[in-house]
Amino acid sequence: MTWFATAFAALAASIVAAWISPARARSWAGGCAFFAASGLVFVAGVEAISTGGATFSLGPLSLLEPIGFVLNPLRGLFLIVTAVVFLAATPLLVRDAAQYPRHRAALFLTLVAILYAGMLAFFTAADIVSFVFFWEISALAIWGLVTFHSREARPVAAGYLTLMLSEAGTLAGMAGLFILASHAHSTALSSIAAAGNQLPAGALWIAFLLTFFGFGVKAGIVPVNAWLPEAHGSAPRSVSPILSGATLNLGVFALFVIDGPIAIHHPQMALLVLFVGAVTALTGIVYALTERDLKRLLAQSSIENLGIVVAALGAGFAFVSLGHPVLGAMALVAGLYHMLNHSAYKTLLFVGAAGIDQATGTHDLDRLGGLMRRMPVFATAFLIGALAIAALPPFNGFVSEWLLFESLLRVVEIASQPVRAVFALSGAMLALTVGLAMTCFVMLAGSALLGRPRSEVVAAAAPAPVSATIPMWGLVVVCFGLGVLATAVIPLLGGLVRPLAGANPTAALVPAFFGTPHGLPAGLTTTLSGIGAEVGRGVLPLRSLVVVHSGGAATPVVFAMSTALAFAVIALLLLSTWGATRLLRRRRTRRVGVWDAGLPCLQPQMGYTATAFSAPVRVLFESLLRPVVQERQHSQGGFLLGLERETRVVHLVDRLFLNPVAYAVKAIGRSLAWLHQGAVTLYATWVLATLFAALMAMKFSL
Amino acid sequence: MSRLTTLAEALADHPGLESSRLKQDRLELAAVPGAVSVLVELLTHEYGFEFATLLAEDLDCGFTLHYFFFHPADHVLVSIGTSASGELPTISDRIYAADLYEREAEDLFGLHFSGHPFLGDFVLHDDVWPEAVAPMCRRYAATTPSASAERASTWHPRRQLTESGSVVFPVGPVWGDYLEAGLYVLEGPGEQIRLAHTRLFYKYRAVEKIAEGLPVPAVLLLAERFSGNAAVAHALALCQAAERISHTVVPERARRLRVVLAELERMRYHMAVMAELAGSTGLAVGKAMGQELEEALLRLAARVGGHRYLFGLIAPGGLARDLDAGALATLGAELPLIVTRIRRYRRLLEASSSFLDRIEEVGALDAALTARYATVGPVGRASGRSLDLRCALPYAGYACLPPTVAVESEGDGYARMRVFFHEIEDSGALIGAALDALPSGAAATGWEPCEGSALGWAEAPSGAFFDWLRLDADGRVQRWSAGTPGYRNWHAFHRAVEGATFQDFPIIMASFGLSVAENDR
Amino acid sequence: MANWVAHSLIDGIRSESGLDAEHLPAGATPGRPVSQPLAAQAAARMAAICPGGAIAARGDAVGVDFVHCVHCQRCRRPDGDLAWREDAQWGAWRDAASNPLPHRFRHSVNVRYLDAGACGACMGEVRLIDAPPYNLHRYGIFVTATPRDADVLLVAGPVTEAMRLPLRKTYEAMPEPKRVVAMGVCAINGGVFGRSFASIGGAGDVVPVDLVIAGCPPPPLAIAHGLLLAAGQLQPGRGSDALEP
Ligand code: SF4
Ligand code: SF4
Repeated sequence: MTWFATAFAALAASIVAAWISPARARSWAGGCAFFAASGLVFVAGVEAISTGGATFSLGPLSLLEPIGFVLNPLRGLFLIVTAVVFLAATPLLVRDAAQYPRHRAALFLTLVAILYAGMLAFFTAADIVSFVFFWEISALAIWGLVTFHSREARPVAAGYLTLMLSEAGTLAGMAGLFILASHAHSTALSSIAAAGNQLPAGALWIAFLLTFFGFGVKAGIVPVNAWLPEAHGSAPRSVSPILSGATLNLGVFALFVIDGPIAIHHPQMALLVLFVGAVTALTGIVYALTERDLKRLLAQSSIENLGIVVAALGAGFAFVSLGHPVLGAMALVAGLYHMLNHSAYKTLLFVGAAGIDQATGTHDLDRLGGLMRRMPVFATAFLIGALAIAALPPFNGFVSEWLLFESLLRVVEIASQPVRAVFALSGAMLALTVGLAMTCFVMLAGSALLGRPRSEVVAAAAPAPVSATIPMWGLVVVCFGLGVLATAVIPLLGGLVRPLAGANPTAALVPAFFGTPHGLPAGLTTTLSGIGAEVGRGVLPLRSLVVVHSGGAATPVVFAMSTALAFAVIALLLLSTWGATRLLRRRRTRRVGVWDAGLPCLQPQMGYTATAFSAPVRVLFESLLRPVVQERQHSQGGFLLGLERETRVVHLVDRLFLNPVAYAVKAIGRSLAWLHQGAVTLYATWVLATLFAALMAMKFSL
Repeated sequence: MSRLTTLAEALADHPGLESSRLKQDRLELAAVPGAVSVLVELLTHEYGFEFATLLAEDLDCGFTLHYFFFHPADHVLVSIGTSASGELPTISDRIYAADLYEREAEDLFGLHFSGHPFLGDFVLHDDVWPEAVAPMCRRYAATTPSASAERASTWHPRRQLTESGSVVFPVGPVWGDYLEAGLYVLEGPGEQIRLAHTRLFYKYRAVEKIAEGLPVPAVLLLAERFSGNAAVAHALALCQAAERISHTVVPERARRLRVVLAELERMRYHMAVMAELAGSTGLAVGKAMGQELEEALLRLAARVGGHRYLFGLIAPGGLARDLDAGALATLGAELPLIVTRIRRYRRLLEASSSFLDRIEEVGALDAALTARYATVGPVGRASGRSLDLRCALPYAGYACLPPTVAVESEGDGYARMRVFFHEIEDSGALIGAALDALPSGAAATGWEPCEGSALGWAEAPSGAFFDWLRLDADGRVQRWSAGTPGYRNWHAFHRAVEGATFQDFPIIMASFGLSVAENDR
Repeated sequence: MANWVAHSLIDGIRSESGLDAEHLPAGATPGRPVSQPLAAQAAARMAAICPGGAIAARGDAVGVDFVHCVHCQRCRRPDGDLAWREDAQWGAWRDAASNPLPHRFRHSVNVRYLDAGACGACMGEVRLIDAPPYNLHRYGIFVTATPRDADVLLVAGPVTEAMRLPLRKTYEAMPEPKRVVAMGVCAINGGVFGRSFASIGGAGDVVPVDLVIAGCPPPPLAIAHGLLLAAGQLQPGRGSDALEP
């Protein structure tokens, strides 16, 4: 506990340091404080997970008694993720802060510190008041950071959109919470689950929808995610990793602690979560493929990843609500695992994007290119991030998506046809998402790192900043570790989901072959041992195998894999092949220029751009994207001098949701304008009439 | 005749017209440069004349430009001559077909056409030749080396498309398995081609310059060999120009044999295009079968004329040597068999839906575009332009052996294929008719060169081909201009490619049957 | 649905069995003028008539240097009928130092064809080497679109100035070992185009030519002969080089 409290002190210190320390030391002082805070939070999180956590109150401020805080293992996990993301982003924050003038630098560091503190407090909030209060603090800090470059028009607009959606979300979520709390007669978050069962169905649905979509604003679910690409795209480059890697988890947390306890008793709600998650994931990746701005693309892909997380949680809730706690726990593990993974590789990629921006001055994918040759160490880390997010083994994205798909397939164990239909539909959308994500990140890596520079500025790029490269490599280790050591991570997460799911999937997922296998038929144990499940027994500290399906009467198949062993075997094979070719190769290698078909020279504009790469996908989804094309031909007589063409894609959510809402609000405003007559007596009449109506409504409802 | 007389009268006191001479089948006008564009507009838009060719000459009196027009229905020619010493207004903004001719004159003679938006980097590539070189000027010796490689690194393709994320795809100059050297600059945001243009003249061998000062038989070698797959047509156009200068009357037997040779060549040319078209769609068996038929026609040509591409047979005055009866009998006997096989080949192609799918509605060229660019040859005929010089300005034996002109209206790849196949069959029939009524007698008459100039023409397999020949007093060539059909059809090709995807590009290209060699000279 | 298979079966095998003179189908080659005894006066007239300078009068005989012949057929007219030989073994090593590709390439040779200003006739003939009658695939000779895979560079045309750089770059892009084959009289010495400001007059000035295939144009059989020589599948100088696939 002391660790955690000290972290707040460190953050407070960073704010003070930002304002009072001399110019040169300012950002360094802030940076050191951030490092310290992250370290402390990390330790607190680990402690919470290992010891089971504690409750604590504000001590001297006991006046505000109902406001309480709690630190349990689940919250510890969120704290650890937050700490790691801030840790990775700090070098860039320091570097960027050093470039601002005095007061702006101090303001910048203060806003970051407030966001950090707000998030930490939020993740430990034990009751509705602190929950909403720190949610709001974080939201305001995010808004401040998004609009930090307020001299440009785009951040300002993005900031308003962010603020508007996040305020609307807060209000909706708050309303939902109050409905729940009023029936629970308590403001403690933990009592909300109990409240869910007592509410009448209609009220419960309203509360559920309000909290799901209200707090879902932060998790970027459809249709309340319009702010996300705008905000992440226009936030200062050093803040984007935090926004994407850490703050999106606020929404996941809210979903887990507020909607989870309700949905595990109501299959329809759970299925809604699953479906919305799948739709979110698919739209996220489709729009990611239309982006050519690196940061906006990554933001769209965050929507996709959060969609996957939400879908996994939804699937988990559904399984639990249908009486399959172990399966539910599996899906919940997949969801949390994916959240971890997303935080790791998305922070990596956003830090990389910041590094690219720093080195080349652009994050337009169509102008980048050839970075692999210019900055190999940096680019390799970035490439690994892309591999991880494209769910390629041996990195982490693969494990969680594999877990998710395998647990979705287990729906065959549920007899209800509608449930199966929703699972199948969502599963298909998620599968398409994963395929498109692969395309998307091949495009990203190909156009940013490979080929020749597609513009002169990139050809003259500065070396990659160390402040990006070092954290990126740190995150590479995290991505790799999460990808290979799945058998170590799953038991950890299994413990975290137990309170909600009512079961710990560890025994089923990573059976302890090295000990006594329990819950598995004897024949199966022998089979699995036969294929190497007990390799390294007694030597390796970890369990070797992830078993996602161990067969049953209806489905006698086994899906199991050892990520670590598979990696070891593949690495060994590759290494030995490489070594053998090195040894046996006799021929000289002749290096000649790129074959240019006999042209005088190749030019930057001849490289395949990201736009060109994703063109087939855009054509495929044309009916969804509905691009608006403007074309102008310049001609002189029969000569065609030039063609200008502009394609604009209005986001589906804007088209179907935001724009109609905005239009409706305007229309209502216009139609109410006749009330404004300017006569005081008239206004008084309106006020009285309203009061009367309200009183009557109360009277009849009581 | 009456059309020319009325035209001459109507133009009699047109401002800027310097002289007007009415000959038997042509009207020769001379005008000041400023009046040319109005005259041209009058001729084409009011009197229904077609643009034939445009060429510059470096004469003793300075640069002269000749504009040629013909009337397809009345078989008459109009030429406008103008001195090119002053500012020349472009006519390409009205007669778009003249565009590349003007660009050529600009590059090779150093003339300037005001109002033309794209000049330079056409025949003489900017990365190979310095700007100041004007090789067709008479004082420039053909052997003067003037290329320099220094400018190579600064060259970049012209971009016409402004669209975010769009790419310039250079295709060529070294590309494909057996494709001709040329650079195709495709612009688009991915696999869709929004705009295309071709950088021609990678194969510029300057035959017109080499020809200067050579006697006609030597130039004939060049005419046959700058684009050997249409050697007969090109040789015919040159010989007919030479014969017009000397007023030589070619004997009837030679006229008919010329038809035989020209049509045999057309069949082979078209057959090769069809085989390539089948190959471009990935129909390997279709390509193989088509190539086999092409080979059969080549062998037949070798047996009839001693050369697979019929080199060395056409000569001023008739044929270089008479074709012997045995060879002609072989031709008469074997050709119908080949035509039957070609018919079967066409049926097979038309029954292959996978093939038709890839050529139908692909590379469509509508009637308006084809009229604007004045396309010629099978490409024009597939888009509704019935122009065929064999009918419009009959030469050789075509006056009494008129071809039936196939006209299609869709203008897509399939329409072009139908035109090609129709022409193959029609050529077979023409050869048969020519052989049936082959008069005996000499296959050549004596031809003596004399001073003068004349236009010669032929409907080459790829379209209307115009030769301008000027001989000096010694019978040596002073100016030879080979006006190729490519100058109109390349433009149309660019427009037909717009909007297509990459995969369709080779198909459209094959369906046009364009020849780079013929264009680049 | 077109039944290509059935029709191909009906047509049967269409490939020529070999290159040797006895089996040459009529018209597969235009033939070529050969050195022969001729009355001195006629020989002198022939030498004068030949535009390529291929014919030289040698007393009572004419000597034909075939690499200069542009196939104008002028020595074949009634007024000067030189005897022509119907053959197609027209490939020849440039000099004694040239040799075929190493033995391991014998049955797998990739050819990059390069148009350096060739007229349609050379283009048309080279396209046919893949066609059923000649079918060079059966000898392991393939045409490739990229010089990166190519072992043989087959150049046609007199090499225009604009193609000088592309030709050099193509040659440089090819891996060792490689051979350059110049096909057609144009690629050998410029042919009718000769040397001018626009034409370099043969590939030899830009890349080292190993093998030449004379003729204007050389028929597919002659091209096949040249390529088989380059691949080491034929020994030069044998009177009738029967092809053993
Ligand atoms: S064909 Fe022509 S070039 Fe060849 S040898 Fe005879 S005359 Fe000379
Ligand atoms: S050698 Fe003859 S056929 Fe070949 S390109 Fe030259 S002129 Fe044409």
